[in-house]
Amino acid sequence: MVLPDDVRRYIAQGLACEHLQVTGDGQHFEALIVSEAFEGKSRVARHQVVYAALGDRMRQEIHALSMQTLTPAQWAAVGQDKA
Amino acid sequence: MDIRDVIQNQIGSHPVVLYMKGSADFPQCGFSANAVRLLRSCGVDQIHTVDVLQDPAIRQGIKEFSNWPTVPQLYVNGEFVGGSDIMTEMYQSGELAALLKPAH
Repeated sequence: MVLPDDVRRYIAQGLACEHLQVTGDGQHFEALIVSEAFEGKSRVARHQVVYAALGDRMRQEIHALSMQTLTPAQWAAVGQDKA
Repeated sequence: MDIRDVIQNQIGSHPVVLYMKGSADFPQCGFSANAVRLLRSCGVDQIHTVDVLQDPAIRQGIKEFSNWPTVPQLYVNGEFVGGSDIMTEMYQSGELAALLKPAH
């Protein structure tokens, strides 16, 4: 079974993150991802960056991944207590 | 017909197309159910849905077409909008209603 820590590691391997938090039950995961790589990108493009980092694992090991994708500035604006 | 042409034809023929698991009345997945709920909340009554569970070629084809590995997927006026998370964010900010207003 895939654990949230595994998903966290997979994402971190492919994407430099300022903050990365993953929770989940082995099938469905939720991630809060803060990265400078999201700067200037649409929501779709941000998710595609994360999907690209996960590669085949997204198709084979992970059934569903809910994501919040924020730039460092957005993260600071929403308040880090939210995380 | 090539699967890309089939998809292009679907998204070109209807202003709002939702690729999902199951139907609008009987969604087979919580994320697809959420997507339908959000569209209805925005006043879209006639959602053109494509049940990917009925067609393995579409199920695989739409993932490649959109460069997006999961379903549901929303297309409005031929443009890919996103999946369940993005729809939820856009609903909460009012962007989804604004996007859909002229489309239905």
